[in-house]
Amino acid sequence: MTTLLEKITDQARALAVRSPWIYRINAGSCNGCDVECATTALIPRYDVERLGCQYCGSPRHADIVLITGPLTTRVKEDVLRVFAEIPDPKVTVAVGVCPISGGIFRDGYAVNAPIDKYLPVDINVPGCPPRPQAIIEGIAQAIAIWRERL
Amino acid sequence: MNFLKILVRNLVHGPSTVPFPFGPAWTPERLRGRIVFKLDSCTACRACEQVCAPGAIRFDKTPDGLRFMMWHNTCVFCGLCEFYCPTDAIRQSDDWHMAHATADQFTMAIREVIPYVSCTACGAKALASSPNPVGITPPFTPEEIEQQRNLCPGCRKKALAERGAAS
Repeated sequence: MTTLLEKITDQARALAVRSPWIYRINAGSCNGCDVECATTALIPRYDVERLGCQYCGSPRHADIVLITGPLTTRVKEDVLRVFAEIPDPKVTVAVGVCPISGGIFRDGYAVNAPIDKYLPVDINVPGCPPRPQAIIEGIAQAIAIWRERL
Repeated sequence: MNFLKILVRNLVHGPSTVPFPFGPAWTPERLRGRIVFKLDSCTACRACEQVCAPGAIRFDKTPDGLRFMMWHNTCVFCGLCEFYCPTDAIRQSDDWHMAHATADQFTMAIREVIPYVSCTACGAKALASSPNPVGITPPFTPEEIEQQRNLCPGCRKKALAERGAAS
């Protein structure tokens, strides 16, 4: 029985390694980075699905998390709750400078940046917003990390 | 029969997807990317620190000199520093390959020190910053720039007055 379970798990792992699913969290972003994330996914010119990625609607299906925005106080609790719902192993990509340092909102009264005080972040993609190719580059690095963790 | 037209067009032009990350990506010539700082040209006027909207550029006084510090993880790549730099010491390259692991985030900074020297004319402690050669006619020769670099601001002013140039 154990061997069968192990076999199934190995098989699932071998399949999963080819298609990490992406989930996007907006932690109070100005929407600039979100537009670039959407561009990266939806426009055939950039087409992140070539890497086997797909945007999913539920945090429970996600493998790679893209976080945008400086973690404003208003959304902080919700972001942390949604982040906790994502099953391990997960890889976090901070898109834009806001989650990394606060960017233009740094030291603002309603901003809790840097986000790595609250969540483990693996990859940073600086830019305001980063161009779609830079986001793809970050996702490619995240996939490499995710394969090691799986 | 419209699909035939599309089929032929796709066969001729290929897919519209850019090959990146499996191939090179097209980069616009004037893309505002990674900051490049040229210590030799910096006049230490601190205009870039003044205009930097997110506060990514900072000047610190250290025992060795004036330290220029800039962190790409705060920079919003607006280009104001490049615009206001009188001597093109700070400019933006078209390099956008900046995605990095979080462990390396503090290597994404520029740290350069403009050292202190003692003025060759009066011996006072002064910054070995570059003189501002913009608007000076006839322009400085490279030797003159080196000479000016080792002068304190007061002696620099005097030297310029003797030279007869409006600084």
